[in-house]
Parts: sequence; structure tokens; C-alpha cells
Amino acid sequence: MSDHPPLPPRGRRIVFTSPVRSRKLTSTWSRRKIDRRHLLRGAVVTAMAVPAAALTGCGLLTREPDTPPSPDPLAPLIAGALDLAARYEAVIAAHPELTSRLEPLLRAHREHAAELARWSGTATPTASPVTPSPAASTPGDVRTLLAELREAERAGQQAAVEACRAAPAHQAALLGSIAAARATHVEVLA
Amino acid sequence: MTGLATALAAEHAAIFAYGAIGVRLTGAEQQEARAAEEAHRARRDALVVALATDGDSPPPTEPGYALPFPVTDRASALRLAVHIEERTAAAWRAALRETTGDQRAQALDGLIDCAVRATRWRRFAGLTPVTVPFPGRPD
Repeated sequence: MSDHPPLPPRGRRIVFTSPVRSRKLTSTWSRRKIDRRHLLRGAVVTAMAVPAAALTGCGLLTREPDTPPSPDPLAPLIAGALDLAARYEAVIAAHPELTSRLEPLLRAHREHAAELARWSGTATPTASPVTPSPAASTPGDVRTLLAELREAERAGQQAAVEACRAAPAHQAALLGSIAAARATHVEVLA
Repeated sequence: MTGLATALAAEHAAIFAYGAIGVRLTGAEQQEARAAEEAHRARRDALVVALATDGDSPPPTEPGYALPFPVTDRASALRLAVHIEERTAAAWRAALRETTGDQRAQALDGLIDCAVRATRWRRFAGLTPVTVPFPGRPD
């Protein structure tokens, strides 16, 4: 059972057929009478400029150029993991005495974001800018802060559960582990 | 064996192991062991139904299961409880790939429950950290 991400989905592959159809090139064709061989040579040069990794998928030249790329179903989960990480960062910044307790949970969310990004073929995300949450502005009330983290974990667990249920087979195990990890965080914050 | 059949075999083994775990514990820990054993029995029963509905023949209970190490006291009982929950979580996680719809939801519930119980047992055992980033994932 491999846990390696698959090739990027079709919608994300680079397509270089569109310039051949562009109006500008068509008019150039008729005006300058570029022969077919010349045009083909141009296409080959373009193809060679595309990184080899982008060429490994099939259907590269057959995709409809007008189809918009489908939205990445993992994107909301990546954002969710980064948001959870940012919440922990804010609480730890306000209450360093909670570091040893919360640090493993923070690390888990970062690892989730990185792993999801690896699977979706996007760049490894960096933490989103921390929006000063009401949490950070009330440094005194640890109990409230932990309750807020718990609520956020619970919502995150539900989001991961729904994603796992709807996921293709190859993503189900990763999403299931993320849902389970968030459930254990709820337990730890109780 | 399909993913769900592997999960069923893991549940059979978990129920067996909790017999050895429970007698070495007292108080809240023993209660937790009893509740865990009940939860594993409920999962097992639901799995037997699911597999029978699919026309598969579920793996039967073995008369005994080899424990990975002898359980002689509280510490080894807690360690075995952690081990059992991690192993059962891995079986449920593997079943996620091979299931859809209600069966996938069933496998996910199994994974989540095992992960949460593994965390509770790590806490009782004084192990840190009490959580892992990817429950059920093979190392």
C-alpha cells in the first residue's frame, strides 16, 4: 500500500496546444505564409521548454483547451490545517507555559498541511499570516482559549470526516488519519 | 482478505487482548478497559453483519491470539492497550481505501475511535507525546 501522491490531476497539467489556435498566430500564418514544418518546429521547441515532469501524464495534448481547471478538493483542507496551526501559534505566543502541551498538536497541523500539499501537487505551504484572534487579546483566560481550540478542532474533524467520506480511494487513508488526529486533539484539550 | 475482513480479524484480536489487559488494571483504568472491550465487540458485530451482507465469509474468531509480549502487571497491560489500539487503527485505516459509502463511514469511525483510545491509554501510561500526527499510518 503506497502512500505516495499520484500524478497531478488533469486540470493542473500544462497545456501548450492553445497558442497554435490563437487568432494572432492564425493571421500571421496567412500573412507571412509560414509553412507547416516551421510551425511544428516552434511547437517542438515549446514542448522542450516544458519541464519533463509535466510531460509524464497522458492526455496532455487531447484536453479541451477551454475547460477551466477543476478546483483542488484538498485546498480547503490545507487552508484549514494552516488556520488551526495559526491558532495554536497565537495561543502559545500568549501563554508560553502551554508550549509543551500544545506544541505536538501545532506540529501535527503543520505536517498535515505539508502532506496535503504534497498530494495536491501545490507548493509546500507556509503558515498563513496570523490574524490577531480574540484569543490572543485575552491572555488571562487559558480555559477559554483551550475551549476555543477544542471547538476549532471539532469543526476541523468534521470537515476532514466529510472530505474522507467523499474522497477517491487513494486519498481516503490520509484524510482519515487527519480526521482521527483532530479527534485525538479534542480529547487532549478536554 | 479484503480491508474489512482484515479489520474484523484485528477486532477479534483486540477483544481477546482486553481480557488479559482488564485483569491487570484497577479503578478508572479498568473501567476504561471494559468500555474499550465493549466498543470493540460492537464494532466486531457490525462488521460481521456488513461482511455477511456483502456475501463474504467473515474470518472466525481464533481460539487464542499470541500477545506481542507477556502481560504481567499494570505497566505491561497499559502498553498492550496502546499497542492494540494502534494496530486496530491501522487495520481500519487500510480499509478506507477499499470501501465507499456506508462502509467507508464505518471504517472511519473505527479509525477515529481507536486513535482516541490509543491517546487515552498513552495518557494513563504516562507516555509522551500522547498524540501522533497520522493515526493508523504505518511508520
